[in-house]
Amino acid sequence: MSGPVTEALGNGTSAGSDLGVKYAKFRDASHAALGETMTAQIRHAVARVHGLENAPGDTAPIEAPPEDAAWLAYARRMPFEHTAITDEEAAAVVAELGEERYVAFSVVAALADAECRAAHVDLPGLTA
Amino acid sequence: MSTTPRISSAIPGEPAQFGNGLAHQPAIAESFGELYAAFWGSDVLSARLKEVARMRNARVTECGFCRNVRFDKAVGQGLGEEIVDDIDWGYETSDRLSDAEKAVLKFTDAVIHDPELLTGDAKAALQRHLSPEQIAELGLGLTLFLALAKALITMGLEPEAMDRTVLPTPAPVLVEAGPA
Repeated sequence: MSGPVTEALGNGTSAGSDLGVKYAKFRDASHAALGETMTAQIRHAVARVHGLENAPGDTAPIEAPPEDAAWLAYARRMPFEHTAITDEEAAAVVAELGEERYVAFSVVAALADAECRAAHVDLPGLTA
Repeated sequence: MSTTPRISSAIPGEPAQFGNGLAHQPAIAESFGELYAAFWGSDVLSARLKEVARMRNARVTECGFCRNVRFDKAVGQGLGEEIVDDIDWGYETSDRLSDAEKAVLKFTDAVIHDPELLTGDAKAALQRHLSPEQIAELGLGLTLFLALAKALITMGLEPEAMDRTVLPTPAPVLVEAGPA
């Protein structure tokens, strides 16, 4: 468990530490709902859109995702085109993943985007 | 952007909204509720500064739900509508926003819009007005505001219409209402 938000909270006070524990629980629950492989693929796809080699804190090798998957294209639109995603695109992802996993997918992709942005401003460096 | 829900409610008979949509994943919903309540319950960073950042995120991400919700703790700390109105493009020239609030807004824009906005001056202003602990808490808040707003929007859970609504500052029960 790492990443810029966790690292920044770890630099802080006991209040920050408590928030860090709760943030880790939320992040872990989101990732667990999709599984390690798909979570890593989503995070990597989002990170590449942000011009990063890997998602912040991710170091494990990434299994190549299915390039024709609707969810992969959808994840790549989350950083800069979230309002342009169409009902048809969303329906295709729901059809691939099912409704429950689509909910987790939406959170994981959006959280990956936010963590990349926190890395871009060096949130941990600002709190050191 | 769609206001047609792309998921159903996890609670039969209810129209889909953020809380009952997220309930398709109970562990995510529960852990988010605990985190969001703890975040708003912490006074390391004032609720007013958190709300300033949240309102800015609502405008930039185009989250209509978030934009129409106000949290009472921030209202009680003096964040009135005339000030919220200034949390728009051009906020730098506002006479109502404090220098600390402008520093928070610039950092918010850097995180959610363009990291190049965090110039040397902007960074210095942020660190002059906020302690490292406060910046960490602000960073967490921005992460949650942005991520959950985007999740809400992309799942089609934006309301078609919504009046401005003052809500009690988040506690776990508010997960049923939305991320705001």
